[in-house]
Amino acid sequence: MSNPDSVPDLTPPDSERQKPFDTNEIDEEEDNGGDENDVEDDDEDEDGNDGVFRGPNRPKPQSREARFRSEKLKMESLLQRMKTGPVSVRVHDVIIKGNTKTKDHIIEAETEVLNNVGSMQELLKASQIVNLRLQALEIFDSVKITLDSGPPELPGTANVIIEVVETANPLSGQIGAFTKAEAGSSIVEGSLKYKNLFGYGDLWDGSLAYGFDHSTELSAGLYLPRFKGLVTPVTARAYLLSQDWLKFSSYKERTMGLSLGLFSSEHHDVAYNIAWRTLTDPSQVASRFVRRQLGHNLLSSLKYTFKVDRRNSTMRPTRGYAFVSTTQLGGLVPNNRSLRFLRQEFDIRYVVPLGFYRAALNFGVSGGVVFPWGNGFSSKPSSLPERFFLGGNISPVCALGGPTALWGFKTRGLGPTEPRRQVNDGTADPSGVDYLGGDLAFTALADLSFDLPFRWFREKGIHAHVFACAGNVAKLTENEYRNFSVQKFVESLRSSVGVGLVVPTSFFRMELNYCYIMKKFDHDRAKTGVRLTFSAA
Amino acid sequence: MEQVGERESEEFTLIARKPYFDLPTACPVCLPLFIYLKLAHFPFRLSFNSIFPDSDQIPYVESGTYVAYNNENGGVIERLKQDGIVDLDSEFHSVPDWVAMKAMISSWLADAMMYELWVGSDGKSACKIYYSDISWPIGKVLFLKQVYSVKQRLGITKDNAEQREHEIYKRAKIAYGALSTRLGDQNFLFDDRPSSLDATFLGHVLVTLHALPETSVLRSKLLEHNNIVRYADKLKMELIESSSSSSGPQIHSVPSSSTPKRGPSNWSSKPKSKPKREKTEEEKKFKRRAKYFLAAQLLAVLLFLSVMGGSDADDMELDDEDEGIVYG
Repeated sequence: MSNPDSVPDLTPPDSERQKPFDTNEIDEEEDNGGDENDVEDDDEDEDGNDGVFRGPNRPKPQSREARFRSEKLKMESLLQRMKTGPVSVRVHDVIIKGNTKTKDHIIEAETEVLNNVGSMQELLKASQIVNLRLQALEIFDSVKITLDSGPPELPGTANVIIEVVETANPLSGQIGAFTKAEAGSSIVEGSLKYKNLFGYGDLWDGSLAYGFDHSTELSAGLYLPRFKGLVTPVTARAYLLSQDWLKFSSYKERTMGLSLGLFSSEHHDVAYNIAWRTLTDPSQVASRFVRRQLGHNLLSSLKYTFKVDRRNSTMRPTRGYAFVSTTQLGGLVPNNRSLRFLRQEFDIRYVVPLGFYRAALNFGVSGGVVFPWGNGFSSKPSSLPERFFLGGNISPVCALGGPTALWGFKTRGLGPTEPRRQVNDGTADPSGVDYLGGDLAFTALADLSFDLPFRWFREKGIHAHVFACAGNVAKLTENEYRNFSVQKFVESLRSSVGVGLVVPTSFFRMELNYCYIMKKFDHDRAKTGVRLTFSAA
Repeated sequence: MEQVGERESEEFTLIARKPYFDLPTACPVCLPLFIYLKLAHFPFRLSFNSIFPDSDQIPYVESGTYVAYNNENGGVIERLKQDGIVDLDSEFHSVPDWVAMKAMISSWLADAMMYELWVGSDGKSACKIYYSDISWPIGKVLFLKQVYSVKQRLGITKDNAEQREHEIYKRAKIAYGALSTRLGDQNFLFDDRPSSLDATFLGHVLVTLHALPETSVLRSKLLEHNNIVRYADKLKMELIESSSSSSGPQIHSVPSSSTPKRGPSNWSSKPKSKPKREKTEEEKKFKRRAKYFLAAQLLAVLLFLSVMGGSDADDMELDDEDEGIVYG
């Protein structure tokens, strides 16, 4: 079609114009019942289409074949006209059928784009958009949009008929695997979803997730596509999360909270979180710093995420770039009895394709800082769960979000440590330390991935990579920032290099790597050798 | 990287609940330990944790990587004795009276304190001691959990609540009587020398006198024994108020709200019954006055209505007359 997006002509119709037809005939959209379309076409034909412009003279339909032939001719002539230029038309009415439970205004809200169409081409595009949007609500089994002629007294108008079939079975379940960048590990999650309980397009779900870093989360959520005229959907999630860090930092974390998604678009996301977090130490061997942090805290924070991901894939990026910035402000209560902190992290990725063997150079730099605010903030410690911990069982290539993983370093495996409590029972392990994380973190990675010269590997998507990474965390709070210097920070950067095999499956990306630790410090938990990492999409 | 925590490893630090009611720490579990260390003239720093009210690890004493928790080895005092750090009881272990009194304080008086703080009084004192630095919703939930737990531990149910209360107060009264007799006019309970018994008893007495409200039954029972009150005041002055001017800076982990001071220490030794009687007389007077006031109000309203009603009728008559004139 030429000029599909041009401004529609305002020339009055002077030839056969209005033609009812299904968008399904032109675009391939998900739809049940191709036969119905033909039947509908016939019905619409009888209702009078030519009569709109030519007057009341209706050609008498003769046999079915003759009708079919005349339909085909009309369609072809319309297509011909659409190829040459915009065919002016506007939408008169939107008719919604088939919704027994779903409220009309939910569906109407998704059809706003139809009000602005000026030409047939725009109408087709808009119909397609509306179809996709309605299907994205996840509450309909099928969506069919039919374009019909408007009332005969209004020339140049069309009616849009939307027929929806609501889900027969509103309950559905799924099991999936994800990578949680902040925790540095993958999680397996099973969830149950109930669709459209109240007819507002509401999606309720309950889920149970288990993370490989000994964390369990039980949560229930609600998704509302339209809440009292707000532009973006509203999500609310109540959760109970329990994380066991006894092995690394001698504390257990239990959080009960509510998070509200306030605004969400392709690049921006704003969420508010209020939670009751308890840190305990049932092992009673925590170090001094951790002991001071044990107790109950109220979290009331606002989180803003800006994300641009133009890479061609998250599992094996070979082209593009990505940028993520997350800002979190905690302490949003009128008094000083909640955790007050400001946390900022960013992650930049750039992938350069090299042209041979599907090779690509992946560069990444990420950093983060957390600081308390309020009276005397420079001498106060930052909250332990808010700090940055480097190391984990996930691949840094897949973990986009902030400084988290380094090849070769185990979970929470590097950074400031403090000796644990000495237990004098003869079998005491004197080298026990708690990993405290840091207020400032930095990581950098470089990864060259390429196909192997064997066809079998290429077909399966198995490829190899050579990588190098470096990272460090430092403490700034409790007046430590006075002793901080960039030179010392850079000098104490941990680093590793290695080579490995990447096996992507439909659920996760597995890497079998040989890591050589180039630089580490006394208490870092890192070893040169073969390591396996799992990252979910 | 840097090893944090190798500083000041020789100095001992006591981590307790926050100060309130003019006491260095207002929690009845933490104060005895504070007093014990003071009685032994043991140098230590004081630090606070006000975000973990339901922890049984607090109070604890730490020095470097050494920690003595409250929920291990029979308590911090016992642990410090075992480790040879502080021991005031070396000669008292074999004295049967001493052991018996220790048991009585640890059971009867401890139960009475627990009951009075969480169930007997209105809970305001407990909230101030334990939850004043915690956000209100969390504090409220923890308070309710604690009240429930105390009732479980003391075996209090809806049916036997009154009977249990009577029993707890009776035992406390017997204990106070026995301790008062034991104390006499001495400076300390046994052999005129301080021991952990004094620390535990003094901690209980100070919290009862300063932290519990004036309507507290337990407090009024304690006030009947003047020698105990004198003993408490004297030791408080010696150990707490004199040392507070010379003690080092106090470190605390969480910002704490200001600690309001209690009134001057002239104790009202009137038992609970007397204040009740006075209150009822006052209440009667107030009620009478309120009745008079209400009656006056009602009368005024009635008068207003009747006068206004009369004038309306007049107005209407006038209108009729007017109408009469118009139509007439």
